[in-house]
Amino acid sequence: MRRLLSSKRAASHMQQLGPLALNLALVLALYAIAMSLLGVWLRRRDFVASGEHAALAVWGCVVVAVASLLHLLVIHDFRVEYVAGYSSSTLPLYYTVAALWGGQKGSLLFWLLILTSITAIVELQNRDKNRDLMPWVTTALMTIAGFFLLLVNFITPPFELLAVPATEGRDLNPLLQNYWMTIHPPSLYMGFVGMSVPFAFAFAALASGRLGDVWIRTTRRWTLFAWFFLSLGNLFGALWAYEVLGWGGYWAWDPVENAAFMPWLTATAYLHSVMIQEKKNMLKVWNMVLVILTFALTIFGTFLTRSGVISSVHSFTQSGLGPFFLIFLAFALTISIGLLIWRLPMLRSENELDSLLSRESAFLFNNLLFVGIAFAVFWGTMFPVISEAIRGVKITVGPPFFNKVNAPLGLALLFLMGVGPVIAWRRASWAHLKKSFLWPVIIGGASGTTALILSGNYWAVVSFSLIAFVMATIVAEFYRGMRARQALLGESAPLALARLMGKNKRRYGGYVIHVAIVMIFTAITGTSLFRLEKQVTLNPGERFTIGDYTLLYNGLEQRDTPHVSYLMANIGVFLGDRQVDTLRPEKRFYKKPEQPTTEVAIRSSRGTDLYLVLGSYDEETHMATILAYLNPLISFLYWGGMTLALGLVIVIWPAPVAAREPAYAARAAEEGAQS
Amino acid sequence: MKRSTKFVIGAALLVASIGYLMVAGLQTSSTYYFTIAEFLPRQQELVGQGVRVAGRVTAGSLRKQTSAKGTEMQFTIGDFAGDNHVPVAGTVPVAFSGVVPDMFDEGRDVIIEGKLVDGTLRAQTIMTSCPSKYEPKPGEKVAPAAEQQARR
Repeated sequence: MRRLLSSKRAASHMQQLGPLALNLALVLALYAIAMSLLGVWLRRRDFVASGEHAALAVWGCVVVAVASLLHLLVIHDFRVEYVAGYSSSTLPLYYTVAALWGGQKGSLLFWLLILTSITAIVELQNRDKNRDLMPWVTTALMTIAGFFLLLVNFITPPFELLAVPATEGRDLNPLLQNYWMTIHPPSLYMGFVGMSVPFAFAFAALASGRLGDVWIRTTRRWTLFAWFFLSLGNLFGALWAYEVLGWGGYWAWDPVENAAFMPWLTATAYLHSVMIQEKKNMLKVWNMVLVILTFALTIFGTFLTRSGVISSVHSFTQSGLGPFFLIFLAFALTISIGLLIWRLPMLRSENELDSLLSRESAFLFNNLLFVGIAFAVFWGTMFPVISEAIRGVKITVGPPFFNKVNAPLGLALLFLMGVGPVIAWRRASWAHLKKSFLWPVIIGGASGTTALILSGNYWAVVSFSLIAFVMATIVAEFYRGMRARQALLGESAPLALARLMGKNKRRYGGYVIHVAIVMIFTAITGTSLFRLEKQVTLNPGERFTIGDYTLLYNGLEQRDTPHVSYLMANIGVFLGDRQVDTLRPEKRFYKKPEQPTTEVAIRSSRGTDLYLVLGSYDEETHMATILAYLNPLISFLYWGGMTLALGLVIVIWPAPVAAREPAYAARAAEEGAQS
Repeated sequence: MKRSTKFVIGAALLVASIGYLMVAGLQTSSTYYFTIAEFLPRQQELVGQGVRVAGRVTAGSLRKQTSAKGTEMQFTIGDFAGDNHVPVAGTVPVAFSGVVPDMFDEGRDVIIEGKLVDGTLRAQTIMTSCPSKYEPKPGEKVAPAAEQQARR
């Protein structure tokens, strides 16, 4: 009893501690901005350092606030509106923790936690580096943090108390009670928030006039880090939709999905075009534009998903946050584009494009395609708003629009993925082209012919030709590198391959990521062209076929627990006469809150998924409607995700210290000479 | 020809083809979107066209029949409350055969995508919103899971 009392007293401290920490964080963020700017103006290093310390303190405050909200969630303090709204006393611990980002208010706080943590790391990494850039970096990051702090302090306070304390929470939406919930939102947030770092450094470069590529090298890892989580976040979201929503697909071009996809596109464009700047000192303005655009799209995506402007399924209720995001977006864009225009004369390209048949040119078109796709997705997503503004009618565009536009553009990108990394810089000779691409073209052609014979589908022919072509160029790159080491250094094949990747992590890790993207293309091709779909209504004992499978419906089974009751259709899976599996697609009925959910049943075999959904049923006759899907090659989506992670680990694996130091010294000297 | 001209032409061709794809895409897959209040007065002019209509499933209107052909459903959708709401009277009958999303029920807000034939909205797709219990979270980052679609 005493323990309970003391824990309640502690809780009431927590209710006050959280808001207090957030107040303090806002003040400190404003202080950090003021001191950084003053430090630049008055050339006072101590002011700049004080601003940096304040940024660290902001992080401390946000950690305290997050910890106290977590504490309130874990002790089930239902006097707090957020706790009562998104958790309950019977919710398992890991979902109780995940409830931190399960609702609007908590998710903004969680966003702040990531942003300020990243800021703290950036400040610590650069204690003795980039002194001219850092006050501006601090200013940019603290302005973003300040915006979110304004929201959690005044607009969506997460520690708000209920007028009448609840005795029990309303629980987390059962649809969110899924293991993806614990990893999908955090990855996406890391991706979104991580893009603030390259933006802050780009802003700093523009503001300070230190436009050499120091800012790019400093943020390279951060950009990769953010890109990695953005990629995974998108993939996790797709897999979540696939495993939970029960319509057999994984991507529906919903505004929420598009919101996360657009910054990924521009960030990917940037990762490529930045290589041109590093190697050839070209595209400097373009890179600035891409970084600013990517950051703007992360804010825009947040606006899109939280404002209800778009007539998607999410737009029935409005949270009133929209205008704030729009104002902040306009503010950030005005300042950064203004700075960019001011600095245009300093951003002249030092080289010119020579030939259409060159690596520069391949990269240029790659960028145009990425940005083109981003624009098409933006246009389709915003079309209801645009058409209402112009014609006074809301017109929505569905998935066919996005598929029609993006399929050809995506395939063109796939083609460039085979060409770009191999083709010569400046100007490719015919001899070089023949040497590099003869075999890949033959292999691609053979694969396309096979696809034509097997399927007769022209999209499949194009897609599988390109997939084989790209894979062949990548394998050839590894093979050539390996043979060169073997010939030169007499290493064994595996050692040569390992050393080759170790010495050129960026290049070969990049190839591994390309392999991952090819895998994802394979999955998309398989599922969008060759997917089978069947809806049948059966009495127990009846059977039907889909693809090679014969499915026998044996009847309904029931199971009951205090929280959930389960209703399952027992379905025997046969290949010929042999039973290979039993699948049980089910309906779950959560008792609190009363809510049915569909649980799909999946059998993965040889890259293909048999995907069953229990649609509806008749309780008396046990007649049931079953939806069956056959998704060929979908396993490549999972493998692609894993390969992507592997590739990224190779790329960002730190170089040995001995190798790193001289490079850094050389870079610093070079930078000194520049400025 | 000047080197840069070649690139301008190449880029212009690419931009033009993206533009063409977008225009062609729009022509084949655009649908009018109405709330029930906007839809009711315009019903006559919209006969036979693809539309999306947002409304609330009228309580007590749902009829279901399961046969070997599947589950046939009839219900009506009517007014739902939102911000700056002006109430409207009247409902539109909806017919659907297939599997509805988990969140679908009487009294829930839905978006019906389909065609108006003989005064009945023949639904191809039913989309549901999160029940109001879970508002306000229109499209949190976590919302993809809160979204349900049924396709015929």
